[in-house]
Amino acid sequence: MELQVADADYGTILQQASGTWQGGQVVGLLGPNGAGKSTLLRLLAGLWRPSHGRVTLNGQDLRNLTSRQRALQIAYLPQELPEDIAYTVKEFVEMGMYAKRGLWGGLSATHRRLVPEALDSLNLGRYMNTPMASLSGGERQRAGLARCLVQGSPIFLLDEPTANLDLYHQLDILNRLGTFAREGYLVVLAIHDLEMAARFCTTLVLLANGKILVQGEPSKVLTEQRVVEVFGVPVRRFRDPYGDFIRFSFLQGELKSQASAVIRRLEEWV
Amino acid sequence: MRVNSRVGSFPVFFVLCGLLLVALTLEVSLGPIGISPGKIISATLAYFQGSRGADAVVMGAIRWPRALVAALVGGSLAATGAVLQAIFRNPMADPGIIGVSSGGSLGAVAVIQLGWSQAGIWVTPVAAFLTGLLTVWVIYRLATVQGRTALYALLLAGVALGSLASALMSLLLSLAPLETMQQILFWLMGGLDDSSWPVAGILAGVTLVGGGFYFWLAPALDVLSLGEEQAEGVGVSLQRMKQLALFASAMVVGTCVSATGVIGFVGLIVPHLLRHWVGPSHRRLLPASALGGASLLLLADVVGRMALQPVEINVGIVTSCLGAPFFLYLLRRRTTGTQGG
Repeated sequence: MELQVADADYGTILQQASGTWQGGQVVGLLGPNGAGKSTLLRLLAGLWRPSHGRVTLNGQDLRNLTSRQRALQIAYLPQELPEDIAYTVKEFVEMGMYAKRGLWGGLSATHRRLVPEALDSLNLGRYMNTPMASLSGGERQRAGLARCLVQGSPIFLLDEPTANLDLYHQLDILNRLGTFAREGYLVVLAIHDLEMAARFCTTLVLLANGKILVQGEPSKVLTEQRVVEVFGVPVRRFRDPYGDFIRFSFLQGELKSQASAVIRRLEEWV
Repeated sequence: MRVNSRVGSFPVFFVLCGLLLVALTLEVSLGPIGISPGKIISATLAYFQGSRGADAVVMGAIRWPRALVAALVGGSLAATGAVLQAIFRNPMADPGIIGVSSGGSLGAVAVIQLGWSQAGIWVTPVAAFLTGLLTVWVIYRLATVQGRTALYALLLAGVALGSLASALMSLLLSLAPLETMQQILFWLMGGLDDSSWPVAGILAGVTLVGGGFYFWLAPALDVLSLGEEQAEGVGVSLQRMKQLALFASAMVVGTCVSATGVIGFVGLIVPHLLRHWVGPSHRRLLPASALGGASLLLLADVVGRMALQPVEINVGIVTSCLGAPFFLYLLRRRTTGTQGG
C-alpha cells in the first residue's frame, strides 16, 4: 500500500507538494490554519484534482480510478460533518459501506454486523437509533470515524479527527489509529496538537503557506526553531519525565515579531 | 434530546395504503352518477364482461382510467419531487424547478398547435418527454463547467428556461385558433379529463421503469445529503448519478405532463410532509411519497369534481389552491419551531 504525491499544485493553496507514504505509517500533517493541510488531504483522497503534478495509489493515478474503486481503498473523513443530519447513527454509519452495496443496494449480513461492532468500539453502541442531529460534536466525530471503520479501506485520511474530542477519546482514537498502522493500514491525519502528533505519529509533515517545509521523524521535524518559525510561538522542547515523549513548554504572551528576540535571549540565558 | 421522533415504517405504510384505498374508492364512486362503494367491483367486472349498462360504462370507461391516471401521476410527481430534493439538497426543489414540467408542456402544446397530436395517442407523450428531456439537457449543459455541475446554476438555469418555456407557450396560445386554444388551456391548468386506458397503460409502464430506477438510486441519494464531497468519498460517482437522476425525472415528469398537463405542489409537499414521519432514508421515503402523492391527487380530484357541482374544477387548480397555503403553513411552523428551540 503506497500513496504518493508528486510535485502537486492546487492553485496557490498548495504548491509543489511531494511525498510517499506506506502502509504501517501514521502520518501527521501539521501547520497553522490555512497552511494547506486539508487541501493536501483532499488531493490524496482524490476528491480534488491537482492543477499540476499527480497523486498515485500503488503507482496508479487516482484520476483513473472510479469513485467506487477509490472508496474501497481510501476512507476520507472531513473536518466537519453537517450538524443537521436527519439520519440515525446506524443509517449514517451504514453509508460508509456504499461501495460494497450489491446491484440493488442491499448489504450482506456480514456487512450489517460491522456497524454495531464499530459503534461499540467507539462507545457509541447505545446511540444506534439516535438521530445524528442530537449527538454532541465529539460524538458526531466518533460516528464519522465509525463510518470510516466500516468502509474497510486500507488507507484512512482524517481531517482533524481529534478536534472536538475530550482527552480520553483523543487518546483512545490516536491509540487505535496506531494499532491500525501496525496492522498495515496507512493513516494520514491533520492534527493541531504538537505533543499528541509527536507522540502518536510515525512521520510528521510540516506545512506552511501552501508548501511542505519538512517531513520525517517527529523528533527531527519538531525542533524549537521550526515551531517558532512556522507557528510564531516560542517554545522550549523537553523530554517527558514519565516516558520517551517530546513535550513543549509554550512561552506565554509573545508575538511572532518578538519571537526571535525571545529565542536569542533564551539562548543567552541557557 | 435523544429521542427518535419517527414513527415506525410499518404503521406509516399501513396508514398510507389505507388512505390510498379510501381515495380510490371515493374517486370511482362519487360523481354525477353515484355508484355505491359496494357496487364498485360488480360494476367493474360487468364492464369487462362486455356489459354496456350505465354503471358499468361509467365505472370501466370513465372512472377507473381517471383514477389510475390520477394515482400514477400523483405518485410519480411526489417520488420525483423526493429525488430532486435529494439531488439539489434543497427541500424547495420540485419537478417544476428543473424546467421539465414547462419544457414538457411546451412540447405538448406545440404538437397540439401543429395538429400532429391527431396522428396517434403516443405523439403527445413522446413530444412532451423529448422536450422535457431537451430542456433538462440544455439546463444541465449550461450549469456544467469542467465536468462539474453547480447546483445553484442548475436551479437558476431551470427557473430561467422554465420562464422562457412559459412565455413561448403563451405565444402559441395567443396565436392559436379557438378550439386549439381550449386544448392548450387544458395543459396549462392540469386536468384529468383526457384519461383513458391507453394513457393509464403508458403511464404505468413509465412509472414502473422510473420508479425502479429511483429506488435503485436511493442509497446514493441518502449519502448525498451529507454533501457532495462526502458522497464522493464513500464511492458515489456524482456526475453520473446526477445525469441518471435528471434523465429519469425528465422521462417520468414528461410523461405525466403529457397525460395531465402541469400539476403543481404535489412533488413539493408530499415528500416534505412524509419526511417527518418515515425519516429521511429514501428506501422508505420514495415508496411512501408515491403512495401519499397518489392519494393526494385522487382526493384533490374528488374535491375538484364535487365541490362546485355541476362545474368541475381542474385538479391542477385544486392542488395549487390547497398546496400553496399548506406549504406556507408548513414553512411557517418549521421556522417558528426552530426559533422556539
